Amino acid sequence: MGIRFEHVSYHYSGQAKRPYEAIKDITLSIESTNEFIALVGHTGSGKSTLAQHMNALVFPSEGAVTLFGRTITSKRDKTIKYNDLRRKVGLVFQFPEYQLFEETVEKDIMFGPLNFHIPFAEARELAVKAIHLVGLDESYLRRNPFNLSGGEKKRVSIAGILAMDPEILVLDEPTSGLDPKGKIQMMELFQSIQRETKKTIILITHDMDLVYRYANRVIVLDAGQLVFDGTPDDLFKRADLEKRHLDYPQTIRVLNAINQTLGANISVYQKTVDDAYQALLEVLKR
Amino acid sequence: MKSIVIGQYIPGDGFLYKVDPRTKLIGILFLLVAVFLLKTTTELLIASGIVVLFFLIAKLSIPRILKGLRPIVVLMLFTLVFQFFFNQTGSPVLPDERTLLNLTVVSIPSFILWTILWRIARKKIRYRFFLLLTYIAGAYAILNLVPVVIPILNPITFQIYSNALEMSVFVIIRLMIVLTLSTLLTLTTKPTDLTQGIEKLMRPLKLIGIQSEDFALIISISLRYIPTILDEANKIMLAQASRGADFSEGKLKDKIKQVISLLVPMFIIAFKRSEDLADAMESRNFVPGKLRSRIHELKFGRYDIVMVIFVLLAFGVSLYLAL
Repeated sequence: MGIRFEHVSYHYSGQAKRPYEAIKDITLSIESTNEFIALVGHTGSGKSTLAQHMNALVFPSEGAVTLFGRTITSKRDKTIKYNDLRRKVGLVFQFPEYQLFEETVEKDIMFGPLNFHIPFAEARELAVKAIHLVGLDESYLRRNPFNLSGGEKKRVSIAGILAMDPEILVLDEPTSGLDPKGKIQMMELFQSIQRETKKTIILITHDMDLVYRYANRVIVLDAGQLVFDGTPDDLFKRADLEKRHLDYPQTIRVLNAINQTLGANISVYQKTVDDAYQALLEVLKR
Repeated sequence: MKSIVIGQYIPGDGFLYKVDPRTKLIGILFLLVAVFLLKTTTELLIASGIVVLFFLIAKLSIPRILKGLRPIVVLMLFTLVFQFFFNQTGSPVLPDERTLLNLTVVSIPSFILWTILWRIARKKIRYRFFLLLTYIAGAYAILNLVPVVIPILNPITFQIYSNALEMSVFVIIRLMIVLTLSTLLTLTTKPTDLTQGIEKLMRPLKLIGIQSEDFALIISISLRYIPTILDEANKIMLAQASRGADFSEGKLKDKIKQVISLLVPMFIIAFKRSEDLADAMESRNFVPGKLRSRIHELKFGRYDIVMVIFVLLAFGVSLYLAL
């Protein structure tokens, strides 16, 4: 089960003579449990378009997407209830401003569940649960979402999706615009959600440090094409990342530089700064 | 929505692109008046020939423009139906035996069958408009030509009069000319040039206290932000749809809620944008009402002379014909 892409292409048609192909011939499959996937690629590589396919917001121009056993092609199938599929795959957009609209945080979080015909009392319970999940306390429920800080808005928008209890959570650049501490907090949050609920989390990001540290699978897009699908360790061992407009994580880059200038032989593949520090100490002791 | 050509600018380098926007604005205004002065279909046909010529010298593709005019087909059909049913002057076009629509045991079932056939074909074939015409012609043929066997209801008389035919052709051609002419203006003029042209033309209004620069600025900013806001609206719609807001189905009460979920973020984002824009303009020393220099100053050239001569000629001829 889960999500399966089979030779999916999508083109935007516009005034331009040739339609713009956002993604080309993508084939991949995603389990509905226990995955922490990072979707990376530089701006305009088709990451967001791919994410929107995952909850039937856009329909593939060619090929087929199978969501929890339902196959979606370019034609609208009247027997499929697309709304039900959207409940199974929760998509959090990059900017919380796109979705916050109610007078209180509580009402805003309840908007999703109520749309899926969950009874009012139950939706309220879900909202309380969701606000705790994103690390805010219940006093936030009565506040106005427009008076919150950027980071808090982001958390509330994520809570709005979590309250729908999706089986797969897709997050479009959830850490953009946050300070380093906020980033780590947010990522720890996703990791704990993933550990607690076993839901698959798909994360669109530009930050290779976070990819290396948290993800257990990386999907790389370049100009709309799938160019890598595997573990972060395999990805960063490759030498051609610059060609894909990607960077190496800080730890690898720093340790590599130390190796080169000092002629040392530290193993560079360390996921956190602490690990890198330990590896460096070990070599220095010797 | 994306195929609408009216109001768009298509970059190019034909004759009309080189004419000053002021000349074009006034010129097209005069040409529009001239079209309304024409009284017979032949005159209109000559005028539409001239419009086609315009497109050729502007190096614009005609099929593309016609495609963009598709939304007004409904308006044309409406005109046609109205004329056929209510304009009953002039001589009858159809001979008497062709005016009866017989409702008989044979013709009613075959009419229903024909309708079903058309509904099925509509889903399979792309040229729906031609299909509709074929359907209407076929339905008429069935009701009129099938021999009378056991009539069920009294036959209906249906007659087309010559004036209705003439008037509908006349109105449709005029509608097309007027629309294509005004499209021609926006197709060949950059929005910035157009607003500058409007600004310059409105200069005299300063005497009665209307600031033409402010007016032009308002127009150009709103034109500039239409695509941006549309893009944003689309994103908000997707964001709310992913939370289960279905804009196509549901009860009225749910729908109102869903529209609010779209409007509130849109207003907030639009206000935020306008504040940012105001800050950006101020930080670059923009002061409303102060005199500003421009990179491209509008200048009249030889193309304008050609345009003016042509417009005067066309306007003179139609005025002469009208009097």
